[in-house]
Amino acid sequence: MRLLIVEDEDLLRAQLVKALEDTDYVVDSSSDGETGLYQSREYDYDAAIIDLGLPKLNGIDLIKAIRADGMNFPILILTARDNWTDKVEGLDSGADDYVVKPFQIEEIKARLNALLRRAAGFSKPTLDFAGLSLDTSAKRLRVDGEEVELTAYEYKVLEYLMMNPDKVISKTELTEHLYDQDYDRDSNVLEVFIRRLRQKLDPNETLKPIDTIRGQGYRFNVPANQ
Amino acid sequence: MSLQTNSQYSLQSRLVLAFSILLILFLGLAGFVLDRVFKESVAAAVEERLQLQIYALLGVAEPDRDGFFIPDLEELRFSQINSGLYGFILNTRGEEVWRSPSAINLDLDEASFMRRRLDPGQSEFGTMESSDQGRLSFASYGTYWSSLDAGFSFVVMESSEPTTAEIREFQSSLYLWFGGLAILLSIAQLLLLRWGMNPLKQLAGELSSIEAGEKDRLELEYPRELQGVSNNLNLLVKSERERQSRYRTTLGDLAHSLKTPLAVIGGIVHQARLHLDESDKERPTRIDELEEQMARMNQIVSYQLKRASSSGTTSYLGVPVRVAPLFEKVTDALEKVYREKGVRLLRSLESNSVFRGEESDLMELAGNLLDNAFKYCKSEIRIRVSTKGDRLQLEIEDDGKGIPKEDRGWVMQRGARGDTLNSGQGIGLAVSVDIVNSYGGDIRVDTGELGGACIRVTL
Repeated sequence: MRLLIVEDEDLLRAQLVKALEDTDYVVDSSSDGETGLYQSREYDYDAAIIDLGLPKLNGIDLIKAIRADGMNFPILILTARDNWTDKVEGLDSGADDYVVKPFQIEEIKARLNALLRRAAGFSKPTLDFAGLSLDTSAKRLRVDGEEVELTAYEYKVLEYLMMNPDKVISKTELTEHLYDQDYDRDSNVLEVFIRRLRQKLDPNETLKPIDTIRGQGYRFNVPANQ
Repeated sequence: MSLQTNSQYSLQSRLVLAFSILLILFLGLAGFVLDRVFKESVAAAVEERLQLQIYALLGVAEPDRDGFFIPDLEELRFSQINSGLYGFILNTRGEEVWRSPSAINLDLDEASFMRRRLDPGQSEFGTMESSDQGRLSFASYGTYWSSLDAGFSFVVMESSEPTTAEIREFQSSLYLWFGGLAILLSIAQLLLLRWGMNPLKQLAGELSSIEAGEKDRLELEYPRELQGVSNNLNLLVKSERERQSRYRTTLGDLAHSLKTPLAVIGGIVHQARLHLDESDKERPTRIDELEEQMARMNQIVSYQLKRASSSGTTSYLGVPVRVAPLFEKVTDALEKVYREKGVRLLRSLESNSVFRGEESDLMELAGNLLDNAFKYCKSEIRIRVSTKGDRLQLEIEDDGKGIPKEDRGWVMQRGARGDTLNSGQGIGLAVSVDIVNSYGGDIRVDTGELGGACIRVTL
């Protein structure tokens, strides 16, 4: 999952970036609204965390501009001004949730997780598919009730596919959402992850959860439990 | 501050009263003077006429043994009995030596001019009352007759009746004209006043529009005398609004500059906790103390900033806030935040309800109360906004656990201190209580029909 963080306080931004990278997100950050807007136009993000008091382009205007561009990834606002006028204005301009400063980093992670799930259409923290269930808060996979160990990258690939079920996801898109831009984008590595995931999810090759669409990418095809 | 005026003391009434007094004084005096002048000129005319009659008598009078013989009276009224014009000739002793045939029935023994002796060439004019002829004007003239070597007084009298009638006629037409003039001037005065006062009326109208929130400044062009007032009022309205927003921005900046470092420290503390040895994690450490103090500091800062930003002044120059759209905006925002709860929301918002105060205060009140409702409800919230008389009534009810009776008292205390509150429902309610109190309103917590907390606010 690729995140955009726009926060002008260097230390705070660094803390957020570090904490979220430690939680296996791919994180881009900028210190002012204009750069934030530029980044939102250049890259495809899964969510953004935006401070309301930003230099150059304030948070509210940045959110409005992002929404005006037609981008609908969830946005979490950070605000030091703990008043409802700002909160309501932020939510009204297109943000999805707010966190008031100072905050516990765990709260940010939980809110972000909920926003990402909600954006993918899941109402619970656990993504349930026939026989497969991925707990996004504990980052655990269960196959037929049995817990299965995943590496950090395997988890990221699976989470992204499950959040976009029945959609064809190109290798480029996957790479972009899973790796930092300067990371080696060898598609062979991705193929290795997919192969290992298939073995872990479907050791008996009965479910065939991930299709390979030749020349286009991958598709997660297991029906969801509602 | 009320802009309504007591009409008893209105400028218009004052001017009408002053002008009316002036009108009455002027017309009264003018009438009196005109009346006097007319009477005097009538009297002068009568005197002149009588004088001419005396000269006419002098011209034809011929003395004889017994007195005078006047053969040919040109003026016919001298010969007609009780005609109203009478002539006499008196000697120096005051004895009558001749009277005109018209005066045969006239009894004038008591008349004062009979006894007065006039020197030759001396004349007298006056009026007298007679018992049978009413009021009479008289003129007398002293002569010396050399052929008789004696002095005589020639007297001519005339009834005042025709001149009195003339004067009466003049007076009644004078009253008629002046009455008409008074009515005309009064109407003109009213029209002129209305025209002259019109800018003031427009100013009052525009101020009412500002009060009602239809305008945010005085826009009309006013006469020079009022332009200064209207410019200053515009400045006042503008600076009042700017002052409020500047104050709020300053507080916002203060919040930002206090809380961002707090967030950074929080992050550092968090990192430090991650690096604790396993053995340290079991017992209380300095990090716990640090976190505790940070939480306290954060709460004090939040609470005091929120309190400080509430203005608490009912303002007629401010824009009245329409309550229904504001509540819709806040509930829309909260529904987004609490989307997963799937809250059933019942809104009954009277569209014409307004709040006369700072929009941000109402926003804070609505935000805090509604956030609590969303946070603590199970699945349903009811909101009612209505106006009774000039009081705004808000009712927010949820189906949560409600606030225990024993906690209601201290939660509702005015100015319950932020640092003595536990986080959660307390701080939002405490701020709401402060805002309501600062507007002199009333806030109560009850158990509602849905079984949860029901907050009733009257402003």
